[in-house]
Amino acid sequence: MATALSTSIAHPPSPAHLPFRSSLLAGQPLRLSLRSPSSATASRSLTIVAASKKAVAVLKGNSDVEGVVTLVQDDDGPTTVKVRVTGLTPGLHGFHLHEFGDTTNGCISTGAHFNPNNLTHGAPEDKIRHAGDLGNIVANSDGVAEATIVDNQIPLSGPNAVIGRALVVHELEDDLGKGGHELSLTTGNAGGRLACGVVGITPLQ
Amino acid sequence: MVAFLRTISAATAIAAAAAALSSSSSSSSSPRFPIKSNIPLPSSLPLLSISRAFAAPRNPSPSLAALRMDSVATELKPSDQQEAGDLPELLTEFMVDMKCEGCVSAVKNNLLKLKGVKNVDADLSNQVVRVLGSIPLKNMVDALEQTGRKAKLIGQGSPDDFLVSAAVAEFKGPDIYGVVRLAQVNMELARIEASFSGLSPGQHAWSINEFGDLTKGAASTGKEFNPAYNASEKPLGDLGTIEALETGEAHFSGAKEMIRVADLIGRAIVVYGTEDKSVPGIAAAVIARSAGVGENYKKICTCDGVTIWEST
Repeated sequence: MATALSTSIAHPPSPAHLPFRSSLLAGQPLRLSLRSPSSATASRSLTIVAASKKAVAVLKGNSDVEGVVTLVQDDDGPTTVKVRVTGLTPGLHGFHLHEFGDTTNGCISTGAHFNPNNLTHGAPEDKIRHAGDLGNIVANSDGVAEATIVDNQIPLSGPNAVIGRALVVHELEDDLGKGGHELSLTTGNAGGRLACGVVGITPLQ
Repeated sequence: MVAFLRTISAATAIAAAAAALSSSSSSSSSPRFPIKSNIPLPSSLPLLSISRAFAAPRNPSPSLAALRMDSVATELKPSDQQEAGDLPELLTEFMVDMKCEGCVSAVKNNLLKLKGVKNVDADLSNQVVRVLGSIPLKNMVDALEQTGRKAKLIGQGSPDDFLVSAAVAEFKGPDIYGVVRLAQVNMELARIEASFSGLSPGQHAWSINEFGDLTKGAASTGKEFNPAYNASEKPLGDLGTIEALETGEAHFSGAKEMIRVADLIGRAIVVYGTEDKSVPGIAAAVIARSAGVGENYKKICTCDGVTIWEST
């Protein structure tokens, strides 16, 4: 049987000769033998093509608030966002990704929170949220906020890529859509923007 | 420049004064907009007007080459640029502070006067004006400001496809400020328009570099962007040079072939101290996604209630 199988893979019998047997014998092992190497190739090539991607945004504002945000994504996995912002008032500050990276008319030209699925504002862990809703960052008594955010909705490539959009640090705490304020479900009522920066492509070291 | 102007004969000075008068009568808030003035020379101009002409020379008659240097240089482009009207056609969308039908027609008429403007649509309820044409951005902005109304660019795109990319890079100082806009016109062509201030007078190289990483300023933006599909020996990201005036301002309106704006998102535009690109640039800005036509009608920032007219 084993011999019969291997021969049928290497030299598939001509359908004219043994149509029924060939489909029974060759069909099954053929599919198996094809699937395993092909799926191995697929995952290998995926690793090579996608690999890890990296981006960075330098945040600046009119005030003393400034910061650097790095974003790293492996393959199609979640994106890890490392934030360091200085010059803040101690406490919570809303931190969002806006649709456009255009700040020529201030905050307005960055558009709304990046929201490709047309949902309402929420917390990063909510099902119903903007892709750009990254919650709050917390500044310590020195005004420094350091955070590592891991998120599934902000890929570094593809149609919803964050590259070229703006990261914005807000004046106030983001109520995560639960504050009951008029603006809770659009902006989290997080107040004015303190600093923003465009997400740019950066080399992998 | 002023000292040089003083040597110009009285006749040319009077012509300049006449041009200045004609433009001031149209209540221009922007002295850079070239006024088409073919008015006859008035013989009885007061001296006061002449000195005003020296202080702020306007676009005089075409024979006054010396005066043109200062007044029109903002509109004259570096060697590789094209004349107004030769730019690829593009739809540009502005939010304009219009309150009545009269304002709408004033705005429309002022824009339609410009060479290279093909069509103007104005929507009073949204305060949106769309201009189709092959005219530099700056001329449109100046014409809008000339009507005494506030205007902000809110979108750019090709008339055939509103979904194609528009991008913007903003230089935020502290020394060099500027805005560079890129808009895809068709698959192979993009329009690039730039205005800078705070540069040292003279030629500056500028380029599109491969990384939008500003952690070390221009030094961390990598090499000039040069994708595999570029057949030319010159890197695609090489934008040549841009000339800054005595005022430190530089303006550019032009088109570049083979550029795909979508490929430039997240990279950087870099300006160099001189024509020499062997040393890192002096300023850099990330190329950001910006709104296409009809994509962003926001007038008020929901984040803090600032209106588009108050924002910077």
